[in-house]
Amino acid sequence: MTTVKNKHTRILVFLVCIILGFMITMQLKSHNQHQTVAMQRVEDLTVRLKEVQADRDKIAKELDEYRAGRISGAAQKEMDELKARAGETALEGKGIILTVDDSKQAAKAGENKNLYIIHDEDLLRVVNELRAAGAEAISLNGQRLIGSSEIRCVGPTVLVNERRLAAPFVIHAIGNPQTLESSLELRGGVLENFKFWGIKADVVKSDSVVVPAFKGNRIFEFAKPATEKTEKDAAENKDTSKAKENDSGKTNAAKQGSAAANSNTASTASQQKNTGGAQ
Amino acid sequence: MIYAVIGLIFGIIGGVLTPGFIPKIYAPYFSVALMAGLDTAFGGLRAAMEGDYDNTIFLSGFFVNIALSVFLCYAGIMMDIDFYLIVILVLGMRIFNNLAIIRRLFLKK
Repeated sequence: MTTVKNKHTRILVFLVCIILGFMITMQLKSHNQHQTVAMQRVEDLTVRLKEVQADRDKIAKELDEYRAGRISGAAQKEMDELKARAGETALEGKGIILTVDDSKQAAKAGENKNLYIIHDEDLLRVVNELRAAGAEAISLNGQRLIGSSEIRCVGPTVLVNERRLAAPFVIHAIGNPQTLESSLELRGGVLENFKFWGIKADVVKSDSVVVPAFKGNRIFEFAKPATEKTEKDAAENKDTSKAKENDSGKTNAAKQGSAAANSNTASTASQQKNTGGAQ
Repeated sequence: MIYAVIGLIFGIIGGVLTPGFIPKIYAPYFSVALMAGLDTAFGGLRAAMEGDYDNTIFLSGFFVNIALSVFLCYAGIMMDIDFYLIVILVLGMRIFNNLAIIRRLFLKK
């Protein structure tokens, strides 16, 4: 079987086999190593994720502590009130729940079908009416309406707080239930107009209406708090116009005195003339 | 024959003892080279059993096959064509071929 003839050949075969064996083992080892590297990476990332999460929780807790520590008593109360006003907290109280849904009536031949469905404008009118009637907090399909909330038509849905809402619309409003209801049901008012087109509107008075907190994000990209100087400038402009209005004769010099301190010479002069004329 | 087995054992021990491993980017080249080496080894074994073993042919075949397969693999990666599959396919077929002949020779004896 063996045809290896001389020593020279044997050594060469020996060497070649060493290389081969070496390569086989290296290949196997490397293969395992590559696998473990991938596994290690997963483990590393998992550990890091956990660390970062723990860090985040810790920092959030610290932030809460700082907030609690720095603001106390009256300031806290005021902040809570401002938050409630800004829509940061869910509110509860007496009010009404208004449900409006698209009309089920079939449009007559030649009539615009759009007249039978609810539009952003209808909702705006309802919301406006509610605000006029003294609603303190309003939500539309769970979206709290705040100062920057929009009610806008986007295709078949309505965009509120950058979220798409579809009919039926449920409006929760906190306020005097009687006032709210009657303001909506005024003759020639919003709901009567709805009825004409068959749009379903259902007002329910309730002792406990819950209006959720505002969940969108509000970031001032362009606006920033006005500095003292710009504020003063704005106040001055106002004062001059006020002073001119006062030319007609009412003397409230004592009240205006403080305002006159930071108004320009022209307005001061006119005020003096003013007071002089009255005397 | 006994030298080959001893050499293999030595090689394996050497490989186990060597620290480090092949970097991932060289892994395809190395696997292809290993395939070529195995093919030549089986070819040599078959030649030895058939009785026309030539040391020069064996040695040159070993190194040239490895070089060619690695080059093909490299060219394949450069050109974005999976040449190493061809190399592994051809070499694998040759290994099976050689093994079949070795088996027959062995059984015939």
